[in-house]
Amino acid sequence: MKKYISLLAAAGLAASPLLAQDAEWETEGLTDDAITIGVMGPFSGNASSYSKALIGMMAYYDKVNEEGGVHGRKLVAVQEDTACDSAKGLAAAKKLISQDEVFMLQGNSCSGVALALRPTIEEAGLPWIVAHAVSDSISDPLAGNIFHGVPTGRANGRAMAAFVLSKPDTSNVAIIEHSNDWAHSYSNPARDYLEENGVAPSLELTMERGQTDATAQVLKLRQEKPDFIIAALYEAETAIFLRDLKKYGMGDVPVMGTAGTDLENTLKRTGDFDTVKNYYVIHSYVDNLDGPLMQPWGEMIHKYYPDEELSTFSFVSIGSAEALVSALEAVGPELTRSKLMAALEEVRDFDTGILSDPITWTADDHQGVKGSAVAGFVDGEPTVLKAWGQPY
Amino acid sequence: MSQIMPSARQRKTRTLLFWAVPAVLLLLPLATNPYTQFIANGMLVSVLVTLGFTLTIGNLGQLAFANTAFFGIGAYSSAILAAKLGVPWLLTIPLAGAFGALGGFLASAAALRGIRTYYLAIITLAFGELMRWAYLHAKPLTGGTDGMPMPRETLLGVSLTDDTLKFYIFLAVTVLLVKATLNLMRSHFGRAVMAVRENEIATASLAIPTARVILVTFMWSGFVVGCAGALFARHVGHVFPESFGMLHLIASFAMVLVGGLGSVLGAVLGAVLLTALPEYLRAFPGMEELFFGLIVAGVLVAMPMGLASLLRRVSPIFVERFYREAP
Amino acid sequence: MLMQLTLGGLSQGMIYALIALSLTVVYRSTTVVNFGHGDFVMAGAFLSYVLVVLAGVAFLPAAALAMIAMFVLGVMFNRGLIRPIRGGPHIGLALMCIAAGYLLRGIARMVWGREVLPMPPVFDMAPIFVGDLVITGDAVFIIGTVLVLLLLFFGLMALTDLGKMVQAVYQSPRGARLIGLNVDRFNDFSWGVGAALGALGGILVAPVSLLHPDLGASFLIKGFAAMTLGGFGSLGGAVLGGVLLGIAEQYAGAYLDTALIEITAYVVIVAVLFIRPQGLFGRKAVVKV
Repeated sequence: MKKYISLLAAAGLAASPLLAQDAEWETEGLTDDAITIGVMGPFSGNASSYSKALIGMMAYYDKVNEEGGVHGRKLVAVQEDTACDSAKGLAAAKKLISQDEVFMLQGNSCSGVALALRPTIEEAGLPWIVAHAVSDSISDPLAGNIFHGVPTGRANGRAMAAFVLSKPDTSNVAIIEHSNDWAHSYSNPARDYLEENGVAPSLELTMERGQTDATAQVLKLRQEKPDFIIAALYEAETAIFLRDLKKYGMGDVPVMGTAGTDLENTLKRTGDFDTVKNYYVIHSYVDNLDGPLMQPWGEMIHKYYPDEELSTFSFVSIGSAEALVSALEAVGPELTRSKLMAALEEVRDFDTGILSDPITWTADDHQGVKGSAVAGFVDGEPTVLKAWGQPY
Repeated sequence: MSQIMPSARQRKTRTLLFWAVPAVLLLLPLATNPYTQFIANGMLVSVLVTLGFTLTIGNLGQLAFANTAFFGIGAYSSAILAAKLGVPWLLTIPLAGAFGALGGFLASAAALRGIRTYYLAIITLAFGELMRWAYLHAKPLTGGTDGMPMPRETLLGVSLTDDTLKFYIFLAVTVLLVKATLNLMRSHFGRAVMAVRENEIATASLAIPTARVILVTFMWSGFVVGCAGALFARHVGHVFPESFGMLHLIASFAMVLVGGLGSVLGAVLGAVLLTALPEYLRAFPGMEELFFGLIVAGVLVAMPMGLASLLRRVSPIFVERFYREAP
Repeated sequence: MLMQLTLGGLSQGMIYALIALSLTVVYRSTTVVNFGHGDFVMAGAFLSYVLVVLAGVAFLPAAALAMIAMFVLGVMFNRGLIRPIRGGPHIGLALMCIAAGYLLRGIARMVWGREVLPMPPVFDMAPIFVGDLVITGDAVFIIGTVLVLLLLFFGLMALTDLGKMVQAVYQSPRGARLIGLNVDRFNDFSWGVGAALGALGGILVAPVSLLHPDLGASFLIKGFAAMTLGGFGSLGGAVLGGVLLGIAEQYAGAYLDTALIEITAYVVIVAVLFIRPQGLFGRKAVVKV
């Protein structure tokens, strides 16, 4: 017996550097008054308008800090630019993990970069909440430390297709999209949903980023006469497409857009209500951007970032930040990485007051938001809808 | 302005330096964390890309902007061979180089048909963009917009995601290719390359096969950059079409220019400096373009032959016979 | 549908023609190809945005002011950055132009950063329906403006003394110097005109598209394709090349695949340079050894 105990003691002593190391790892990036969070995003480059999402999220951190932080610790954001480039993004991640030694990561707007980062972050093991990028492959197959805090492409794509089919007598659906990963992450699940319900897209068109004219595409559509068009296009190209639709007499065909655009901005861009009256977008929020439920959030962002122009992106990451804070509160002052991840997996039906669907993370499923609402113009006002003709 | 060529003793010092630097670098991983190691690896890849580029635009004097195309071809070849055919990554490196050389062959076809200067620049630019379109649209082969992830692989028991292991492999490949290029350029062939650059017609009149010189230079450049592409594929672990566009081309330009057109030493210097610079500028996102523009403009006006020209004034050791003479 | 595509292609093509023309003007007089021209176009668009939206100037005077400003910029660029390195290798000049373009882009990004900006539409004209054909206000405006400009431009060249001087310099800079023409000042002037014309292209595109710092990138390649098709160095060729390119893009997109619109320009470049390198009206571009 004595021999056993001494053997155990010896083993314990031998392992203790490892255990001590583990303990070090668990609280890396933590001090008594700060939790460092690595915020990666495309703060420069041609995708920089997406980093608005991270501005909104960081405004929320500021708000929490002003209210005293979490168990006495402030949320300190360490920003790193990915420029939406995989090599630069990987450098950013490695810097945050190995040089800045942050406690956790939250952010990322570009799906391509996030995908490239996944192996490295998975290996490093620290918690990572994907707060904007939509590609499903980032969080599926499951990785213990990777959490998705926004509706994924699959959720959005299916929501789009569901809305399209909720319009009565819809059988002829056309799809127009950019030939990039972002667009496919919406259109592929939408296609699947349509086909599951017996509708095959009648026409598949491409419009490239930067094209200032959609004549060829619209003329093809004019020949096909679809009941509904699904458009996975960025803001600028959406405005051009809608304008060209109206130009060539197709202004009455409803168009379903992604979460990459919003009604108010599209209206501003085209400058003409007639052009956008049949435009619908994925709107993952509980209210219009300037509705009463969203205004306090807008004010919050302006409190800490007064020059920030609000767009639909600005609000998308706040929900996951709220869920994070609630998990941090639940863990208590003795915070470690593993405890945080365990607490995140306990988040159930968390109502963020901003996202249209609640956040739920379980041990088997880290894709937290399963659905999305749709917004469209009803009587000239942007309105959040559940299905065709059904307000939220 | 003529340069004093290195004496025999200086050449011996030069050889010593050439091997001493990588020998010292063997110890680098002791001083780095995964982030700085990652950047160092990126520098090595950039050295090769810049080397290939300076060969065609500096030594041969052809305005061929196909470098990024070779890079992409190399990266995708490596990814496709590894992911779809299960070829071990190390083996894909020379294979990717071969595909790059094929790209060089295609690019040289334009030059050989007599297309020169701006026309060559434009057609090779178009070639590069066409390749990018191909990566995007050949989805079954290239993964389209999702890109191609590199398969998990281990070498000698260590995973190939480990930056230190990659460093040693990258270093070996880089040293090998730089040495081979130096040997090539110091040989009779290298002199022929220079001659073609200075005056193609006169060179032809000396019974030197200018067409072959152009072809081989393009193909060797393609080979070097193709190998770099294979390294890059492992460096990031995932190959995307966006990495091989105009931005990359312009960054390569800047590296060649800052280092010195047609100088192997310059390629190394330019690549190292301009890979490190964006990392230091991380605190100022979006200022990169401004800085790059200012640097290139500044170098062009103040130091058109690049940093290598400064070093040449310090010691004849750094003189290379095949750089471009100052105008 | 064919007529519609042709009209749309014509409208797009006019912008390409402008850009190709402005590139050619600079090339003919200085043999420099401005690889940063796309960003000059973008700068023109942004300048007009600043004037219209932020300073409240009406569109036409804003456009004029923006063009004048870009003219000055072109002249200063030539004087300050091109002249000092004239004697150097072509690659140096190409890189300087790229650097300038990058500087402009960097400034635009610094000022407007993350925003993508809308420009108010110029014409609120209802589209005209001629049978099955839709003629939009934008198309009328663009085609009309460029046509007027081209008439002015070629008219000046052919009929005035100034135009004769320009032709003299084009034909032989040395000869022009001999008869007392100030070729250096002429080059400055050419750069200014090139920049201003490019800016006009940007100004015409701005209300149609949306402004962001990377706007210029695609226009450069289209300009090159147009120049290549029309024949490098030919002014008329540049215009014709631009129009043909615009129309070809629309046809390819409609009759073949919309994915091809993006690469029509590249295919044109490669095809022309391999089949008939001098394009439609250019001089021989091939050096055979």
